Amino acid sequence: MEFIEKILYIFEKHGIEFLKAAWITIELTCVSLIIATMIGLLFAFFKVSNMKILEKIADVYIFIVRGMPLIVQLMFLYYGISSVFVLSDFTAGALALGIHSGAYIAEIFRGAIQSIDRGQVEASRSLGMSYMLLMRRIILPQAFKRSIPSLCNQFIIGLKDSSLVAYIAVSELYNHALSAQASNYMPLETYFVVGIYYLILVLIFTLIFKKVERKLDVGKR
Amino acid sequence: MIKIKNLQKSFGDLQVLKNITLDIQSSQVVVLIGASGSGKSTLLRCMNFLEVKDAGTIAIDGKEINAEKDNLNLIRRDMGMVFQHFNLFPHLSVIQNIIEAPVQVKKIKKEVAIERGLALLQMVGLADKVDYYPDQLSGGQKQRVAIARALAMEPKIMLFDEPTSALDPELVGEVLETMKKLAKEGMTMVVVTHEMSFAKEVADRVIMLSEGEIIEDGLPTEIFTNPKHERTAKFLQQVL
Repeated sequence: MEFIEKILYIFEKHGIEFLKAAWITIELTCVSLIIATMIGLLFAFFKVSNMKILEKIADVYIFIVRGMPLIVQLMFLYYGISSVFVLSDFTAGALALGIHSGAYIAEIFRGAIQSIDRGQVEASRSLGMSYMLLMRRIILPQAFKRSIPSLCNQFIIGLKDSSLVAYIAVSELYNHALSAQASNYMPLETYFVVGIYYLILVLIFTLIFKKVERKLDVGKR
Repeated sequence: MIKIKNLQKSFGDLQVLKNITLDIQSSQVVVLIGASGSGKSTLLRCMNFLEVKDAGTIAIDGKEINAEKDNLNLIRRDMGMVFQHFNLFPHLSVIQNIIEAPVQVKKIKKEVAIERGLALLQMVGLADKVDYYPDQLSGGQKQRVAIARALAMEPKIMLFDEPTSALDPELVGEVLETMKKLAKEGMTMVVVTHEMSFAKEVADRVIMLSEGEIIEDGLPTEIFTNPKHERTAKFLQQVL
């Protein structure tokens, strides 16, 4: 009973500021995922380009990003970037998250592009299409559709990973939980509440993706 | 129209084409026959540079083509290709499949392309399937759409790579009918097929490949009734 009372107390005391923080989490996630998608597309292109040097660049990028914990990269980029450029904490956080997710999204796109039947390229070629044209008009639309389920998964991971930028002072959801539990001495209940906020955010994301999937008929080829 | 000289092609250690020399005239219907692995599909694919030759020359309309220097996209515009597995674009409707290349490659106005596309669909007998998607069509219908798609670029020559091999037997006829129509209109055609009835009826010339070499080249009546080479006789015995 005491637990529930404490939960209600936290909702009452921190509810509004958590809501604001949740909004920052959403913004952070969206901006970082847009960056990540662009980076992912670029490096996926590198990987399927058949040009050794571009493939190597993509390999190195993916190796480094996948090979280190996000928190290490976050700190490295935060202190690294902000020693050269003047960036807001939010921008630095979004950039770091984007660079991180970008590596995974690059692999998702690469797999989707390579899963498209060779015959599609041959048919496009036989009709006189250039590489760029057939990529843009024939391969990418099909590959994109095919990548949506994995992309959805990666986006949800990205949403949750955004909690780590709390440590570079971006006042998003987890950052607020950290400071709230320090002032109210109720860590268990505070983290419980913030967990619920994350659950709801993930639920919203999932529903949006379900809708997109249905609209694009992802199950069908 | 296409002049091939001393063409050679290997995949790894396997030499698929050994010294092929061949001259295809305009309006000719040439049927390539031969056992599987004889190199007939590879030869066809070399003609529009989907496979790059190792040695020899290919000249089109008297101009020798250099696969590295010449713009192959320009050359391929004039050559239609029909594949065994159709290779329609699954994310585009029938009419979109047909107008894609004319609009995007040749920069023809969309309305004009649609008008021509509809006429082509009429020709292949699919005027009622305009807005269908490929996965809503039968194999025979898909292949006829693929033929219409290739024709939409107004090619000077049509290459067919086993166009009926992936079809259920009862659907073969409709595709062959469409090809016959095309032949009657004077289209230059090179056809790789196992349909000997088509070869007999439509071909101006039949070429038999065996182990990467042309072992027979002549009128269908000659080859089917009086093959010169023993291997041709044996092959025909098996397929007829």
